Amino acid sequence: MDRRTFFKAGWGAFGLAALVSGVGVSLVAVGRYLMPSVFYEPPQAFKIGTPGDFAFGAPSFLVDQKIYVFRDRDKGFAVASAVCTHLGCTVAHFQSDQKFHCPCHGSIFGADGGVQHGPAPRALDWYEVTLARDGQLRVDKNKVVPPTYRLMV
Amino acid sequence: MNIFREIYQSIVRRDPLSTDKGKTELVFLNVWLHIHPAKVKKEHMKFRHTFYLGFISFFLLLILITTGIALMVYYRPYPAAAYQDMKDLQFVIYMGPFLRGMHRWAAHGMVACVFLHMCRVFYTGSYKKPRQFNWVIGVVLLLLTLGMSFTGYLLPWDQLAYWAITVGTNIGSYAPLVGGMLKEVLLGGHSVGEGALIRFYVLHVAVLPLLVVLFTVVHFWRVRKDGGLSRPVWKLKAPKTAPLVQIGGTAEAVPLAVQAASTEKTYGLMEVVTGKPIFETVTPEEDDDAVFSYPYAFVREGITLMATVTTIMSMAIFLRAPLEELANPAKTPNPAKAPWYFLGLQELVSHSALLGGVVAPALMVIALLVVPYIDRNPSRRPRDRKWAIWLFTAFVVVNLVLIVIGTFFRGPGWALVPPWVHVTGGAE
Repeated sequence: MDRRTFFKAGWGAFGLAALVSGVGVSLVAVGRYLMPSVFYEPPQAFKIGTPGDFAFGAPSFLVDQKIYVFRDRDKGFAVASAVCTHLGCTVAHFQSDQKFHCPCHGSIFGADGGVQHGPAPRALDWYEVTLARDGQLRVDKNKVVPPTYRLMV
Repeated sequence: MNIFREIYQSIVRRDPLSTDKGKTELVFLNVWLHIHPAKVKKEHMKFRHTFYLGFISFFLLLILITTGIALMVYYRPYPAAAYQDMKDLQFVIYMGPFLRGMHRWAAHGMVACVFLHMCRVFYTGSYKKPRQFNWVIGVVLLLLTLGMSFTGYLLPWDQLAYWAITVGTNIGSYAPLVGGMLKEVLLGGHSVGEGALIRFYVLHVAVLPLLVVLFTVVHFWRVRKDGGLSRPVWKLKAPKTAPLVQIGGTAEAVPLAVQAASTEKTYGLMEVVTGKPIFETVTPEEDDDAVFSYPYAFVREGITLMATVTTIMSMAIFLRAPLEELANPAKTPNPAKAPWYFLGLQELVSHSALLGGVVAPALMVIALLVVPYIDRNPSRRPRDRKWAIWLFTAFVVVNLVLIVIGTFFRGPGWALVPPWVHVTGGAE
């Protein structure tokens, strides 16, 4: 390879590398731009009121948080997600059979949240519920707990 | 008087339409008409060859753009206002329901016509060499059409919209590796909310229409460059081995119109006046069939345009576009159904989200894209391509059956309920 060819190839490779990296960086930047830097969404950890606000027996459905709050006389508090694990529809808890029914594709979850029927790939999530210092119940959706988890108050 | 004649001449700048030269100049001196050839063959313009489905799809697109712009005047894309604006469009704004109805029925019609157009192109074998790539562009246009429908579906911000998009975007999140990120980028958040609404709006009114128009332009351009409208199947002759003539080959007298070895002639691009595009090989007696595009093709296109607009207007008058109650993230309607053209997909998803929602549709799209490269059979005659026709028919039937099941046979909780059984309210 003579000197002239060497420099020609060198400049060519340099130009190509510059072009590819320029386009690549731009694409990454576009992708990053499309990823929101801030979410104006409700917080994942929130307070839901004092234990006295919740009745025994049938679970309370909290609309905004999409959770079911169970209160059992012997076993205490448990919080289940109302979001179907299949495609995100809101499941309905039927008092008649103690099960969660998804209206979208017919998934049925048992009392412990386990899949009993339908296309749902996994059980409903149960979230950690704790007692905050001010005496309110605090649910943290970032902390998934086993269905046996109970908060005794 | 002369000044008016001069003004008119300065605009049209062609000979009178009574002359052949004028008819030709009308086509190629006009930016809007020059996508046509100066001449068309009567057989190729036969209604029963194409059912004009491509034209109709394009005219529906024009209706969608026009009515869409009109609707944009009153629509504000954020949750607090969107549904209110839909109510205004439905009950307050002059001609609101009519415009919204036209937009909706044209959208449904476009999905149907683009699909039927694809079926026609397949059954007539019109995707074969040299038109392979235009088929691929057509498949892209089908996907863009579905994308426009899907993004438009969220905008009314009613229960139907909210849950269809919740289900739809969750299907996307099952895609391996990129699924979660895809959903976040599409929604601008973790669930359908104001971020999702503005993003879908931008896709619906700017990004996707721009892409559709660009690809449509390429699609039309390629129709011309790949040999014009395909010849009707019933006009096909037994395949001959006449070599394709090189364009602009030798330095002999007429380089662009070389006599082929057989009795057929191949016409070159420069002979625009005769309306024979590149690669079009015809036998001389068929020349009698060619007529000037003006008025033969333009009249037919004009009638198709008017019929399309009239049909959509009539539908908009008699059938009102539905609007359900305000979107309620807490309460999923039972059953929650996607728009009809996605109900086949939803039926698949009800069995498995990954297989039915991601793998099966991805395989279908890939299969459609590679059709012209897999099918090596050069013949376009139905009796030579039984396998291809059977396979494609199976594809169409499976899709239709899934859509029919999803539409008519699925009741509350996605349980199988025949359409003749009336279900009164699920247990709640």
